[in-house]
Amino acid sequence: MIEILTAILSGGVILATPILFSALGEIYDERAGVLNLGIEAIMSLTGFVALWIGFSTGSHLTGTLAAILAGGLVALIHSFACVTIGVNQLISGLLILTLADGIANFAYRSLTVVPTIEPLRPINIPGLTQIPVLGPILFQHNLFVYLAFLLAIVFGFVLYKTTWGLRIRGVGENPGACDAAGIDVNRIRHLCVILSGVMAGFGGASLTLGYIGLYGRGIAAGRGWIGIIVVILSRWSPYRAILGSLIFGLGYSIASNLIGIGVAVPYYFLMMLPYIIALVVVSFMFKRTRGPSALTVPYRRR
Amino acid sequence: MNASEGCMRSSPSSNSEEGNRRAPIRERLERYMSYPVGLLVALFIFSAILLAMGLNPILSIETVLYGSFGTTFSASETFVRVTPLLLSTLAFLIGFKARFLNIGAEGQLHIGALTAYLVASQMEGLPSGLSIPLVIFASFAGGVSWLAIPLLLRIRLEVNEVFPTVVMNFIARFIISWLCTGPIKDPNALNPQTRVIPEGTWLPLMVSGTRLHAGIILAVLLAFLVYLVLYKTVLGYEIRAVGLNPRASKHGGISLSQSMISVGLLSGGLAGLAGMVEVIGAHHLLIEGFSPGFGYQGIGIAALGGFHPLGAIFASMLFSILQIGGETMQRGAGVPIDLVYVLQAILVLSVLIVERWITVKRQK
Repeated sequence: MIEILTAILSGGVILATPILFSALGEIYDERAGVLNLGIEAIMSLTGFVALWIGFSTGSHLTGTLAAILAGGLVALIHSFACVTIGVNQLISGLLILTLADGIANFAYRSLTVVPTIEPLRPINIPGLTQIPVLGPILFQHNLFVYLAFLLAIVFGFVLYKTTWGLRIRGVGENPGACDAAGIDVNRIRHLCVILSGVMAGFGGASLTLGYIGLYGRGIAAGRGWIGIIVVILSRWSPYRAILGSLIFGLGYSIASNLIGIGVAVPYYFLMMLPYIIALVVVSFMFKRTRGPSALTVPYRRR
Repeated sequence: MNASEGCMRSSPSSNSEEGNRRAPIRERLERYMSYPVGLLVALFIFSAILLAMGLNPILSIETVLYGSFGTTFSASETFVRVTPLLLSTLAFLIGFKARFLNIGAEGQLHIGALTAYLVASQMEGLPSGLSIPLVIFASFAGGVSWLAIPLLLRIRLEVNEVFPTVVMNFIARFIISWLCTGPIKDPNALNPQTRVIPEGTWLPLMVSGTRLHAGIILAVLLAFLVYLVLYKTVLGYEIRAVGLNPRASKHGGISLSQSMISVGLLSGGLAGLAGMVEVIGAHHLLIEGFSPGFGYQGIGIAALGGFHPLGAIFASMLFSILQIGGETMQRGAGVPIDLVYVLQAILVLSVLIVERWITVKRQK
């Protein structure tokens, strides 16, 4: 029993990682006033890129770098459409969704080999891993997991304690005032949108290089959407996003562990668990949630 | 400012400014220019991609056109594909007009297909004149039922509908996968699919030797009906008013929750019908993965058609040509069909970008 519980909790931390990565990028993005609904497909695409490049070069690092580059490039299309031109952000994001998914599946089906890679090995932290119970749950993971949680703290610090963070928040709340104060509103927005793609790239890489080691159609399997739900659940705070992504990570982990031990519930019902959690969360947490004031409103000087 | 207003403030007017004011001819002409220009931009990008892959762009266009219209059969397949595309486009469009963003057409059409199958499979021996309307009604109700939770959340708790509808898509897909691999699977079939439904429930065939069924007529008629409802009735006026300015509409005496309910009923129902035509029109059974994302594609088609129901007819036709032609290319040249989905996204994005760019330029 303890073993299963440890497996579930430890799996929850691993499965929270891609969600946390994408949520962090989306927090900055939305704080600056741009919504990116394409995250889900950007994660699938970058997951593929990471796997493919990692497989061909034999290096997890090169794969990850390629993934964040690909994520940034796709996000650049979104930021060009929404920030430079002012296309409706929801529609643009949903088009990015089909675009990125299409590119990923097209590239995957054009390959003559099936890329596979051995997922990144867990790294033990001397001293911490030896702690009973907690050690294996928190400190026996691969680099992606540590990076995600570390970045959450860095992102929180930058957002709340630095001039950069202040500017990002300002641009999302009152772009007019920021412009008057001499801040280049659209430049910050561009950077934040690209950052959301880069972070989704980390998310995709952590999924294929850190966990699955394979690609399949729609590999993100809703994690991108759940990342955006985590953003709202955590009320646009990188710190609270840690907790939010852990809730969903646990959902995924419970489902896959129960499938693993062969519970007498149909497989597909267990697979639904994270989405049912999402629906409940959305229903009860969204009421009266106040987002950045200028979210989805393009900025143009009058 | 709460989540449903502040978080997703996306006015339909940001990409199609109409309201009740008819724009001057010159302005409208300029806006229509975005189609040829956007098409050219997309063609340019796409030729570059094809050339990079070592394919001849002109030959590829020929293949796509021949593949979608070259023979009676391919032309009929093109019209078969238009049907679910057009219906899911209308589903998104009517919601969009009222600022109700139903991203869940994919899930609703899965449930619509399921209810259509469940009812049709019980109709053995009944005359078509009775069974088909019953199946259509059931699929409409099925689609609506899948939108009920997001709709209730929106009206009662002011929860933005985008995320509930998306989450419901995933749940619907799992339900269909579960049923098609287990409880209602045809034990003799290899694929995850059900038994064939009774012949009396099949939509009438229009050209023998093809799969072209009467669903296309239903879809086009519904497009005109949606046009009439939106632009010629009080309900449509209210829907558009709510979409353009919810607060002003409320002060003008329009009940927001009532117009949301009407929009939700129409939107979910139309999506349900999109699933129905695939079951009782195209396949005559329910098969897992019958939809390559019709619900999501409807969003792009709606945008391409200028968020107008009649524009949606042409836009869905274009998407269908690309898809059926693309499937021919997949069989012939071995180019994966996913390339077509990439093209579709590039095409719509180009048109939207050019359109927006022209609008902004004029305002300056």
